Amino acid sequence: MTRWPRRIVVTLVVVALWELLFRVGVLSPVIFGAPSLIWSAALKDGGTFLTAFRVTAGEMLIALAVAWVGGVAFGVLIGAAPLRSLIVAPILSGVIALPLIVLYPVLVAWLGIGTPSKIAYGAAAGFFPVALATVLGIRTIDARYAEMARAIGATPLQIVTQVKVRLALPAIVSGLRVGTSLVIISVIQSEMLSATEGVGFWISYHRALFNTGHVYLGIILVLVLAVVANAVLTALERRLGGARVLAQAVG
Amino acid sequence: MSVQTPDVVVARDVGMSYPTASGRFMALDRVSLTVGDGKFVSIVGPSGCGKSTLLQIIGGLAAATSGEILIDGVRIAAPHPDKIGIVFQEPLLLPWKSALENVEFPLALRGEPREARTARARDLLALVGLTDFADSLPYQLSGGMRQRVAIARGLVRKPRLLLMDEPFAALDEQTRTRMWGELLQIRAASRATIVFVTHSLVEAVYLADEIFVMAARPGRIIERIAVNLPRPRTIDMLGAPVLGALRNRIWNLIAEPQS
Repeated sequence: MTRWPRRIVVTLVVVALWELLFRVGVLSPVIFGAPSLIWSAALKDGGTFLTAFRVTAGEMLIALAVAWVGGVAFGVLIGAAPLRSLIVAPILSGVIALPLIVLYPVLVAWLGIGTPSKIAYGAAAGFFPVALATVLGIRTIDARYAEMARAIGATPLQIVTQVKVRLALPAIVSGLRVGTSLVIISVIQSEMLSATEGVGFWISYHRALFNTGHVYLGIILVLVLAVVANAVLTALERRLGGARVLAQAVG
Repeated sequence: MSVQTPDVVVARDVGMSYPTASGRFMALDRVSLTVGDGKFVSIVGPSGCGKSTLLQIIGGLAAATSGEILIDGVRIAAPHPDKIGIVFQEPLLLPWKSALENVEFPLALRGEPREARTARARDLLALVGLTDFADSLPYQLSGGMRQRVAIARGLVRKPRLLLMDEPFAALDEQTRTRMWGELLQIRAASRATIVFVTHSLVEAVYLADEIFVMAARPGRIIERIAVNLPRPRTIDMLGAPVLGALRNRIWNLIAEPQS
């Protein structure tokens, strides 16, 4: 239980040092900001940033839901059939290698400058790695398990849902991790490129005005979103962590 | 009305061939055999003689390219878990399920009520001597225990026939020797007919009533040997001259240079 007090102390020391170096003129406020500048930015435009936070968090939630559910569902559908997965897996890897950002202006043209284009872009960025991880995860499980399941009377659907997907879970969760970070990055990135609201938009806006305190306030809000997403994933991994170890131990 | 037959397994001219780069490969060539009710039959042969393939065909896991398999007088083309239990070389237990859950999994797949299937699974765990390990996860069990769980799973739907594909090959010798005794006890209690594929000639002789000896290229049965050892079999018999003589006879059949 000494972890949390220590963490808080370390954080306070770093923040105090940061402020001190700004006060004595070592750190340029335009480049490094300062805790007091962030604080005054929060006092002045906190309401705007809170609204922006809600917009961005909402976009991320929907994009994540699409990427997770769609990616896993698509991956299971493809991965369950060896031939299909042999054809589709290279296509998915190919798409992942593309810089999707070049398509963003097209999405804005189709869906407008509002939230739908951010959601679509974020979901697309997250979908492919989740789908690929699921396809590969299911394809690479030990085929003898499927034969055993057939021998004990499992239907083809039961073999997929109760054996293959369960055995592939560790791989699927790693895919979710990659997909989630890509969704977060992509939503912020799209807001910074062209938007009228959202945390990314305000970071970009205040950077142009050299309001470094506001920029750092935005960065902190993005960090909050990333930390929450990471915590959810870690909890999920921990719940499945047993199965991962066991799958390796028994082979 | 199907014709009553005392044979649990009847294989008639079973052939298995598949195309390769250098023409059709004959994995099995007109294999015929019968296994009587309650018998313990071993199948031995050199690597690549198709003995595992034959077992898969008998179990309905693979389709023969010619001939037919009758189980209890009924033609088989797909797995029949109510008639046939299969135990593989690896236990293939689901790592997130306890020993009990692994044993009741075949019943759960058919949607049997929880209470009934748990009771049945507990009976089988008792049969294989793992009552105290019902809640253990596979990684907490030794190799021999895992294979006993797999045997319990193979028997949970009360099949008349249990197919075993080198089930003890991955175990160390002491564990394997102990498993022989266990398997014979389990067999006596469950009254299942057993077809047992193995590389080990001693194992084949010690366990079986009858041995089919196979040869490779093409895979075929070259000899049917009755094992004249009394039951119950005891560990002392492992040193008996009869067993050694049978083992050597099979060895000479297998070791003959094949054309």
